[in-house]
Amino acid sequence: MPFSTIATPEAKPVANYKMATCHEGGQLLYISGQVARDTSGNIVGKGDMRAQAQQVFQNLQQVLRAAGGDLEDLMKITTYITKIEDFPAVAEARSAVFRGELPASTLIVVKSLFDPEFLIEVEGIAAIGE
Amino acid sequence: MDRHDILPERPVERSRGFMPGVSVNPSRILFTAGLTGRHPDGSLVSGGMAPQTHRACERLQAVLARAGAKFEDVVKQLVYVTDLEAYNADGRSERGKFFGSTRTASTGLVVQRLADPTMLIEIELVVDVAGSPQAKPLLEKYNAEEHSGQFYQGVIVNGGRLIYLAGQVANNRDGSVAGVNDLRRQAEKVYDNIGHVLHAAGATPSSVVKETTWVLSIDAWRQHGTPVRRGFYRGDYPASTLVEIRALARPEFLVEIEVIAAVA
Repeated sequence: MPFSTIATPEAKPVANYKMATCHEGGQLLYISGQVARDTSGNIVGKGDMRAQAQQVFQNLQQVLRAAGGDLEDLMKITTYITKIEDFPAVAEARSAVFRGELPASTLIVVKSLFDPEFLIEVEGIAAIGE
Repeated sequence: MDRHDILPERPVERSRGFMPGVSVNPSRILFTAGLTGRHPDGSLVSGGMAPQTHRACERLQAVLARAGAKFEDVVKQLVYVTDLEAYNADGRSERGKFFGSTRTASTGLVVQRLADPTMLIEIELVVDVAGSPQAKPLLEKYNAEEHSGQFYQGVIVNGGRLIYLAGQVANNRDGSVAGVNDLRRQAEKVYDNIGHVLHAAGATPSSVVKETTWVLSIDAWRQHGTPVRRGFYRGDYPASTLVEIRALARPEFLVEIEVIAAVA
């Protein structure tokens, strides 16, 4: 995990995520926005945020592992959703995936994603071991 | 360079010409501002999605060229559109003409509004730039063409360490929201928070290389937020993107800003 965590008592996060992270070495990995498609490309969990969020984090983890890392190597994630009412289900899925603190994190509610069936898209930046 | 394509065979991204992940050894990294279909005088090209996409990519190409880079060096792209049907019909193929067979990490979003109400597309890039960072300043901020905006079109980080901040909102230390229904107060609080986090990382406002500002109203932001932003950066702006979106994590939040900074 070649990154450090920045914290300050002057500005605290509003939930269980890191305020900032600093890359300290190793490869810098940019991960595409992950959506709820399975390995064959089929959409998973139409209309079901819980199922979509699970698939999205599974896909994210798959990319991290293929790069020689895992979820704990994430420095930053951005979660895009289309309905704020879905947020509790997202938060639940995230805490099931991340043990302890989340990476530095941003949550944005957009008009839609690139397929109207998608309820959530998550992109990430990771620091992959030396 | 040391670029690695991650999971190139995965069908989801492959069918769309993207890459699930791209990793690089971050020796020299370029962040571009979100660029749109504007002419140098600030007016938008006419003719809708295809010409706007073409113009945005042409401008990105100029920003890349100034850094000695090409579209094949792009690591990540973020595409914001306001009309998905138009993008699927005319935008995607136009963008593809510039990227060719290059597959980058990518995210695509449909947002409420971009800087100008008639703007249909905005694209920003993260780029792996060739060459050694040695004997270069930590940050090279530049414009490839004249413009009147308060941002740089490109910022190259030469060999520094990148700092990724969480999206900052107007929260007080006790977790309460500062400036409910008061965008100017929220802007002040957000930049206060960013300043504190940067300070804790040994950085300053001039260390910021990329900024993304997410607001519920661009018109309101220009009136109440822009003056606060101007006071924060004091002319030493990052590459930046301003986007109007539907909502943020709490209904009270009117703005969220995330920045990437660099230190030696």
